[in-house]
Amino acid sequence: MNKSPVNNPDARLVLVCCGTGCIANGGLDVYRALQNELNGDEGVRVDAVTKGTGCHGMCARGPFVRIMPDDINYCQVKVSDVREIVEKTLHGGEVIKRLLFRDPRSKKTVKSHRDIDFYKRQHKIALRNVGVIDPASIEDYMARDGYQSLRKALFTMTPSQVIDEVVKAGLRGRGGAGFPTGLKWKACAAVDRLPRFIVCNGDEGDPGAFMDESVMEGDPHSILEGMAICAYAIGASAGFIYVRDEYAQSVASLGKAIEDARRHGFLGKNILGTALSFDIEIVRGGGAFVCGEETALLASIEGNVGEPRDKYVFPTERGLWGQPTVINNVETWANIPFIIHQGAASFASIGTAGSKGTKVFSVVGKVANTGLVEVPMGTTLREIIFDIAGGIPNGRKFKAVQTGGPSGGCIPESLLDLEVDFDSLARVGSMMGSGGMIVMDDRTCMVEVARYYLNFLAGESCGKCVPCREGIRRFGEILTRICQGKGTVDDLNLLESLSETVQSASLCALGRTAPNPVLSTLKYFREEYLEHIIRHRCPAGICKELTEFYIDPEFCNGCGLCAKMCPSQGIAGAKKQAHTIDQSKCIKCGECVDVCRFMAVKVR
Amino acid sequence: MKMRIDGREIEVRSGETIMEAARRAGISIPALCYHEAFGGQGHCRMCMVEVQAGGVTRLVVSCTYPVTREVEVKTSTPAIEKIRRDIVTLLYKRAPDSDFMERLYHSYGCSDNTLHANLGERCIMCRLCVRACEEMGVSAIAAVSRGTDKRIATPYDEASPDCIGCGACADICPTGAIEVIEKGSRRVIWNKVFEMADCQRCGRPFATLAQLEYLESRLDRDVVKQRLCSNCRRKEVVGKVRRYNASLPFV
Repeated sequence: MNKSPVNNPDARLVLVCCGTGCIANGGLDVYRALQNELNGDEGVRVDAVTKGTGCHGMCARGPFVRIMPDDINYCQVKVSDVREIVEKTLHGGEVIKRLLFRDPRSKKTVKSHRDIDFYKRQHKIALRNVGVIDPASIEDYMARDGYQSLRKALFTMTPSQVIDEVVKAGLRGRGGAGFPTGLKWKACAAVDRLPRFIVCNGDEGDPGAFMDESVMEGDPHSILEGMAICAYAIGASAGFIYVRDEYAQSVASLGKAIEDARRHGFLGKNILGTALSFDIEIVRGGGAFVCGEETALLASIEGNVGEPRDKYVFPTERGLWGQPTVINNVETWANIPFIIHQGAASFASIGTAGSKGTKVFSVVGKVANTGLVEVPMGTTLREIIFDIAGGIPNGRKFKAVQTGGPSGGCIPESLLDLEVDFDSLARVGSMMGSGGMIVMDDRTCMVEVARYYLNFLAGESCGKCVPCREGIRRFGEILTRICQGKGTVDDLNLLESLSETVQSASLCALGRTAPNPVLSTLKYFREEYLEHIIRHRCPAGICKELTEFYIDPEFCNGCGLCAKMCPSQGIAGAKKQAHTIDQSKCIKCGECVDVCRFMAVKVR
Repeated sequence: MKMRIDGREIEVRSGETIMEAARRAGISIPALCYHEAFGGQGHCRMCMVEVQAGGVTRLVVSCTYPVTREVEVKTSTPAIEKIRRDIVTLLYKRAPDSDFMERLYHSYGCSDNTLHANLGERCIMCRLCVRACEEMGVSAIAAVSRGTDKRIATPYDEASPDCIGCGACADICPTGAIEVIEKGSRRVIWNKVFEMADCQRCGRPFATLAQLEYLESRLDRDVVKQRLCSNCRRKEVVGKVRRYNASLPFV
């Protein structure tokens, strides 16, 4: 067994990212190889401790190996690099330049993760321990003040003081709606019926989003501690963590954490010798996106079909099995221990007037460094996309960023300086959602984007209420015919008119926000819709029926790369001469556009 | 407790829905998925009304909104009428084979020439059939699948071992979407074939054997000891009452 670095201050600490993204790229193999190399009989004896940690954030460059206290950050490490790392770096103290991160803009290598723009500009609260501790070790968590907040709440605060602290912090629910967390707790505590329940919503389902996954995998105890503090504050006896079924590693990590917490007396009967008894159970989701909606989630825990209900009576009054229930999202729970430990004022000093603290975003799509980013509320989109995530790769142009999950909106370039918080995003026709951010470049057709999201929602709506089920079906139908060049200008009015009804008459937030992708693209990219309808042309070259590619001889230098990559052998030309596309062979896949380094392939 | 609805003041019990209170006062609010036997489901959204409470005006679904404080309700505004027209249009385009929806479509003055009509469909997914089946204590059918594919079916579309062929689902269906085939002594519903029982008095096949057996298992045997159709049962009861009245000493 490894010695804890806490007890052995001279030992080097080797942190290997074992988040889902890095595991997919071989992170676990690197971790095992390092352990073998360091603990085996052969090889160099180095006093070092290897630790598998949660997600380091910059998933596109994984697997990561971070060596402390030297503060050397290696990325895209392979098993074949392990011996060299041990011999050269751990033993010889030499930095292997080849494995360092190379800044996509300055092209320079960076040794410490602290000097990488991606990390430098972040402010971590919810992710404070993710990537730093071994999630399977409760000692690691406790070494970083873990469960101190629970102690502080239990022994120095009254339940109502705890609630007041959360109210004063100004924390708003990170799951999407942004309801003030403290007020939710207060409302639940005020309902005079027992038992009261606590639920953690870990049913993260937005395409491209993995904020909650990284917390559940990388720092499960922070969620448990947050829930236990709430249990004390509102007088709850049982808690449930509803985890998306696909997140097997989260379930394993949380399960281990719950067992360890029980053993240490942080969960179970008479927590830390007090009168508080509270335990947590994991419930695995059934694979429905709509179960992220809180009333559908509660129905699912109860064993019923995951369909939402009208929320004229909130779950705080009638929730799980009809009992008063507080339901918060994973990221919200992870913020609670920080607030209790550091004080509300410390948390409230970060962020904007209406949205306090930080927010984790998963920045994906057409950016250089895809990954998880935690920044103070009020950080601009430009900072997040360009300064932190490294901007648009391959010399392409930024076109839009879609925030808030499938029913969020698309925000254009003119609004890049928007300071992101709950209210500003809603004002421009999008939403915070749970923090998904999908960046799109100029090879993206906005009509097709709207169609994609509405098709996603058509499959994921619960199908209970008419406006959502039938309305989304019709959005899909209309957008599809526009993408095929069969749309009319009247279709745009019909889309807008239907949107009104779907927004105001749908049962739950899924339906009420479903028109966002349509309305926001209509608002900011109406010209593109009209191009499709009037000129039967898709400017981005995505909608196959409306696209014809050609090679501009002025730009083409005849390198032949497009001809080589063309899957239908539809491009011909002599070497160093301008090439041409045979339209009868072209399948409009766009591969030639993407591979051409001279922007010579154009859309007619 | 009082509630003002369309300018009229009516009495409401706390916790009662707007729909219930309105119907008791004889005020009708359009609805497709509401039935007084089952209460509100909140599926069709036709019964949306405007509620003013504590200075806030919003649209709510009257069949699920419980009245817990003084509210002022309007059952019709231009915004609400637009929602109703859109819902009727969407449902008619979904179920164009339903005469019921066609009548509604015309009576709401809807017009749309661009949306694709889903020919051959009658079901509007009000789920009254599911509720009726549930109330029978059988729950042989349910809304299955998700999203735009959601539909009413038995598990895996197979003949359900629970279905008793009572036809309560087809009876309550407003659009005639549930097929019941009756031929001689057989009834076919939800892909299941049932033997019919003949009325002991008039000889007409009137219920499935499975339904009668189910009722007998649930009720006092005396109540169902005679297998009578509803007509003959009425005659039987009337006869009993007459004989009983005749047996009374004339006062």
